[in-house]
Amino acid sequence: MSIAPDPDATIPDEVLLVAFANGDQQAARQLASRLLPRVLAQATRMLCDRTEAEDVAQDAMMRLWKLAPDWRQGEAQVSTWLYRVVANLCTDRLRKRRGGVSLDQVAEPADDTPSVGAQMQTAARMRALSEGLAHLPERQAQAVALRHLEGLSNPEIAEIMDISVRSVESLTARGKRALADIMAGRKAELGYEDD
Amino acid sequence: MRMTDPNEDMLDDLFAQARRVAPPVSNDLMARVLADARRPEASVEAPGILAGLLDAVGGWFAMGGLATATLAGLWIGVAPPLAFEELTAGLLGDTVTVHLGSASGFADFGELEDG
Repeated sequence: MSIAPDPDATIPDEVLLVAFANGDQQAARQLASRLLPRVLAQATRMLCDRTEAEDVAQDAMMRLWKLAPDWRQGEAQVSTWLYRVVANLCTDRLRKRRGGVSLDQVAEPADDTPSVGAQMQTAARMRALSEGLAHLPERQAQAVALRHLEGLSNPEIAEIMDISVRSVESLTARGKRALADIMAGRKAELGYEDD
Repeated sequence: MRMTDPNEDMLDDLFAQARRVAPPVSNDLMARVLADARRPEASVEAPGILAGLLDAVGGWFAMGGLATATLAGLWIGVAPPLAFEELTAGLLGDTVTVHLGSASGFADFGELEDG
């Protein structure tokens, strides 16, 4: 859907959250418009399943609404908290999914208008990547996804995962190596055999 | 000179494609999220396993009583006052042991996570 421009883009998320906790539904609409696209994108990149990603996004936002009355201002950013919640919800689902990813409703890439063949190949690659993440230990999968799918910095990931930057470096390095090994066996299937 | 790993090159390409995934928020999802925000119980924990267990014993109020009774029972069991011991022995005739929950005194509800 097209989301209306945020008329109060300068108002911090946590101020809107406090306003929502005090009964301001307009604040909820602004927060949803701001945060939901990113929350949905994070869940989609990890799960590669539209229905599951939407369920995770709704669940994460519901948790935010519930937490609003008890939000401790100044302790964490709303966006940091949401990254953590979505990462946890996604790894929960990846864990349950081990052994088989549902092949229907695969999220399609939003970029350009490539040919049907190219779209199918991209969808297959994204599905394979999600399957690969499902085979990593959960903390590695979270660190790899936050670093390489969300493009966050190591200090940002450290705050989200509540660990040291060194631990983030270790998790992402080990996770990426393990994921590369997992994906190596699918090179030809994913169209990388001639690269 | 740093050697590139062809497997990691493939992975970097996959990551780059994944970062371009930006699904639009459907009207339905936005409506569901805003409906959740309008729920009066938005600040109340949704029913789950814990709520089910609590309902089975009569809710939090009963759980509070149960916890109090358990702790009182534990205290009495550890350090029975002489007069109390005589009274219970007189009334019940023997030691009565009642197990409430697990060995730790409470049922294990698992880990409650914040997200």
